[in-house]
Amino acid sequence: MKKNNFFVLILLFWSLAPFFWQVYTSFSTTESITNPFSYVQNRWTLDNYIQVLTANPPFWRYLLNSTIVGLSSTGLTLLIATPAAYAISKSSFHVERILRLLLLAVSLFPYVLLFLSLLEIARVLGIGNNLLALSIPYSALSMPLAVLLLSSAFKDLPKDLEEAARIEGLNLWQRLRWILMPLSSPAIASTGIIIFLFSWNEYPIALTWISEVELITLPVAIARIAGSSLYSVPYGAYASATVLGSIPLIFIVLFFQRQIISGLTQGAIKG
Amino acid sequence: MTLLFLPAGLLIIIVFGIPIVRYTWLSFHASSVLTKLEVLPNNGANWIRILGDDRFWQDAYQTVRFASISVTIEICLAILIALLLDQKINNRGLVRALSLLPWALPTTIMALGWRWIFNTPYGPIEKIFATLGLGPLNILSNPDTAWLATIIADVWKTTPFIALILLAGLQTIPNELYEAFRLEGGGKLHAFQQITLPMLKPYLIISILFRTAQAFGVFDLIQVMTGGGPASSTESLGLYAYLNALRFLDFGYSATIILLTFIILIIFTLLVWLLASKANSIRKAITS
Repeated sequence: MKKNNFFVLILLFWSLAPFFWQVYTSFSTTESITNPFSYVQNRWTLDNYIQVLTANPPFWRYLLNSTIVGLSSTGLTLLIATPAAYAISKSSFHVERILRLLLLAVSLFPYVLLFLSLLEIARVLGIGNNLLALSIPYSALSMPLAVLLLSSAFKDLPKDLEEAARIEGLNLWQRLRWILMPLSSPAIASTGIIIFLFSWNEYPIALTWISEVELITLPVAIARIAGSSLYSVPYGAYASATVLGSIPLIFIVLFFQRQIISGLTQGAIKG
Repeated sequence: MTLLFLPAGLLIIIVFGIPIVRYTWLSFHASSVLTKLEVLPNNGANWIRILGDDRFWQDAYQTVRFASISVTIEICLAILIALLLDQKINNRGLVRALSLLPWALPTTIMALGWRWIFNTPYGPIEKIFATLGLGPLNILSNPDTAWLATIIADVWKTTPFIALILLAGLQTIPNELYEAFRLEGGGKLHAFQQITLPMLKPYLIISILFRTAQAFGVFDLIQVMTGGGPASSTESLGLYAYLNALRFLDFGYSATIILLTFIILIIFTLLVWLLASKANSIRKAITS
């Protein structure tokens, strides 16, 4: 027991130390940033945060952009994945097996390699620089996992229930809306949160689709800050940007850890 | 029924299928600044060029090295963490949530964080070495160490994800199995070899395959942490393809890079899959 606690401490230190170093740096004056371990007279400051929040565009703009993309992608994915998952869960054994294997293979694909073609599609359709349009590739990329998760959730429901509803005269949409979806809401929630996290964090496609600085998402904004001055010293502003960008995710992880973990592990097991 | 699957199927085909076809076609054409971005056939010149492109093969070597070493470390660490989290520990939920944090944060955020940690001369690592009278290490500006720093950051970020999947696997193993083994006089290490590893195997294989494919496509981490430098020693194939398209504006060649990367990835993943699924028989052959 004592030994375990010791290892848990090491694990937590390893997981959190890099983040705490960012927090520490974000509140430090330039002087103390360059001398982290020695005595400095004016150690603490809020300037880094003020600088980031009053920049043009202000930092919260990127948080807002990412939230828009995250929510719209999650909505669109669930809207398309739910009927597809229902279809798979009702299909014959062999068809189901083949479709599941195909979806699994597709979900292994490192999607970063798609960026060039997706960029061309965006140009042809003229949907670059549009936050809502970004949810189309994001839905497609999250689709395999979403369909896998939802179809196994539908399959786990008792068959008689839907049969009874059908005999009562409920059509497919009503059955989905009033029977299947409420009963599998835990699976829908964990699928949704994982899609949201993916869309919030996605980088290569957001980088190539969005060029207007007012519209860039948080990961792109961070990378842009990083690239703007590769060799300059004052990391304080960068650090405060990374801390601000992390706060929403820290809350999501703490509140929804159960759903996130169940979504991730179900994806691996049922796939 | 088919109609219900249609939108999802179409979307997947458009986003995953069209690019492969388009890349194949584009790889036999020139489309760059020289052709004023017009697409003209060039008789396989891209493919001839790529075979002799040292930078491509150097990046391929770096990508394979990055993927194999980081996935190996991640799997080993993840097994240990999963075993630890499977024990009775205080506040297990909170510990699990906190250790998941590195995975949940955007890669660019923590790539920037790690760049700062490895910074010379102001990062904490350099400072600690300096107080010991050692250094400067110049971790990120030395081609021999920069790639190791990117592996540390990748291990930090993705190990919790694998650990959780393995933890789910551990929880499917019935306790009776261990009880019976103990009653027959088997030691703990033996129980790990005879029960835990074989029962975890499907989980291990899926995590290894998934992580290998994803590590092969590493992009955000490298672009933000090192920019591919120093001297393109940390440059991945994904980053090289990106640079060719958006910096050198050579789309034909970029498509060729992506396609060959894809082929190498398939071969590499198949090899890893063979190794992982045959690991048991190989181990038996060595020990017997």
